[in-house]
Amino acid sequence: MLEAIDLKKTYGDYQALKGLNLRVNGGDIYCLLGANGAGKTTTINLFLNFVTPTSGVARVNGIDVNADPLQTKRYLAYIPEQVMLYGNLTGMENLEYFARLGGHDEYSADDYRGFLRRVGLQEDAAGRRVKTYSKGMRQKVGVAIALAKQARALLLDEPTSGLDPKASNEFSELLVQLKSEGAAILMATHDLFRAKETGTRIGIMRGGQLVQELSTDEVSHADLERIYLEHMH
Amino acid sequence: MIATIARKEFLEIVRDGRFKWTAALMVLLLVTSLLAGWQRFNSYSQIQATAQGSTNTQWLKQGDKNPHSAAHYGNYAFKPLGPLAFFDSGIVNYAGTAVFMEAHKQNFPIARPATDTSAVARFGELNGAMILQVLLPLLIIFLGFTAFSGERETGTLRQLMSMGVSRGSLLWGKAAGIAAAVLLVVLPCLAVGALALAATGLQTVGGGIGTRVALIGGAYLGYAAVFLFLTLAVSAWAKTARAALMALVGFWAFTAFIMPKTAAEVSRLVEPSPAFGTFMAEMKEHQKRGIDGISPRIRLAEYRGELFRKYGVSRVQDLPVYWTAVSMQKLEELDHPVFEQHYNAVRDEYARQLRLQDRLGVLAPLLPLRSISMTLAGTDLIQHNKFMAETEVFRRNMVLKMNTYLSQAAADLNGVNSATNYMIANEDVFAIVPPFRYEPPALRDVIASQAGNFTLLAGWLLAAILLALVAVKRMSLERN
Repeated sequence: MLEAIDLKKTYGDYQALKGLNLRVNGGDIYCLLGANGAGKTTTINLFLNFVTPTSGVARVNGIDVNADPLQTKRYLAYIPEQVMLYGNLTGMENLEYFARLGGHDEYSADDYRGFLRRVGLQEDAAGRRVKTYSKGMRQKVGVAIALAKQARALLLDEPTSGLDPKASNEFSELLVQLKSEGAAILMATHDLFRAKETGTRIGIMRGGQLVQELSTDEVSHADLERIYLEHMH
Repeated sequence: MIATIARKEFLEIVRDGRFKWTAALMVLLLVTSLLAGWQRFNSYSQIQATAQGSTNTQWLKQGDKNPHSAAHYGNYAFKPLGPLAFFDSGIVNYAGTAVFMEAHKQNFPIARPATDTSAVARFGELNGAMILQVLLPLLIIFLGFTAFSGERETGTLRQLMSMGVSRGSLLWGKAAGIAAAVLLVVLPCLAVGALALAATGLQTVGGGIGTRVALIGGAYLGYAAVFLFLTLAVSAWAKTARAALMALVGFWAFTAFIMPKTAAEVSRLVEPSPAFGTFMAEMKEHQKRGIDGISPRIRLAEYRGELFRKYGVSRVQDLPVYWTAVSMQKLEELDHPVFEQHYNAVRDEYARQLRLQDRLGVLAPLLPLRSISMTLAGTDLIQHNKFMAETEVFRRNMVLKMNTYLSQAAADLNGVNSATNYMIANEDVFAIVPPFRYEPPALRDVIASQAGNFTLLAGWLLAAILLALVAVKRMSLERN
């Protein structure tokens, strides 16, 4: 579903990504681990066509992102560290706006309420302006947007950092649900515990390269931490 | 897609605190200025009609006197204004609204309202055109400068672009949304203006009120769209919303304040026009000297010889026409080419100045709009020149009629001392001069005169749209 082939990105002399090969299939939660500057966000930006690759190809659903960015974005949902919404619009209005932009005009108000209920947003919050929302509530709207968009692949950039443990846990449960429905999920994170708990596969990045890939069911939490730290030294 | 974006943009704008106070201010100023202009127009029209009526009566009731003296007594022409003058007063306040028409002199228009006002009037009269020309762009800038720059700063731009929206649709959607918010403010005010216009009775000067309103509306719409797309272009280009606002307000001040004054100064430097006193003195000197350097006295003597030959006589007493009258008429006609030369020269200078100012419209879209607006409102230089030309036609006819009447009716007074024995005429004689009627230029010619300005404005709009498209295509999603 998500595929990177020899993906390179350089900014002047700086090599942000040095030939990344990566594949995330439907039903996978692929967690990208690595220090800041390892190339995690660059990878996500390349899939979103926010930056153009220096060489190599990023594919979504088999389509080259660089060749047809509008088409590949149809399959994608993007949830950054902080989901940015329009403060003067309500949660419902934000959801409706992004759903329509994502090509879905078919939903009724009840459908939108259903999405927001599913992601666990309090009923009374849906009609309130988003500027009154907490971070956790915004992240939930972000997931609701992904649901409404019927995204086949999710790109998550540290989506739970700064969330309290309960909110973080709720968010992870939503991801597991989406995974079980067949979504391909690529998540950049610093949270080794969540990566082990919710992820199916893990990739450790360093200096713009993928240095190790492993399956979460092969390693214990302690092993994961040890392997990660070894790579960071 | 575009409609969705437009709707969201509109909703966001009208919910923003910025919108409420700018809209309130705009409505207040626009409605006030339209109503003030309407009131001013009504009182002007009333005064104009009354004054023209009473000057016509005064001419007839000036008392029995010699017809040539009657021509000296003279007559006034008061400039009638079309109903759109209440929206755009153009140069009316500066160019003069009345002309005194008398024998031997072609006068400059007088009654310039600007001379009776305080220095505050230098900022321009508060009228609908001024508000739309100066403040409407500011409203558009205030509502639109965050369109892209603000979304980039809050991070929603990334979110937005991750949805698979084309940058083109984003631009058109935002343009439509902002336009809707601006129209929400402006249209009700213009409806008030339209009612005021209808209440003037639409006594058009020059006709075609519908065409005029449509063309003025189109020009202002185009002008507003120029600012809308420039605002969007700068908003996409600028690194921060703050920088976008600064750049846009800078351009606004440049086009709304700096360029109109600069254009006037530059046009005066390049095409100097004489001061009023100098102009009058030179013309008077030229009159004395004669058009071709042969003095009117000599010309008059030649003319007398011609008449003697024509009628086969050798003394003034034997002429079948009253010599005093025909010589007055001859003197009058000797002055015509002098007046024409001087007035044409200064008129051409003004026209060249205006053309130069219009051309400077490549630097500021306000300049072509201003010309279009006042021309269609009938308050521009072209129509002022036409008025002046008509008053001269009237003046010449008035003098000719009086002199000709006198030359025939008083032929028996030839050789008699004209200081003590002269012909006295009454109202019936004065009535052979028909009252002054202003014939405005044909609407077709008025519109044709603005072809260049319409082209300039269209060029601005095209350039602004292209600029916005390029800026949005190259727009960075990251704040840095």
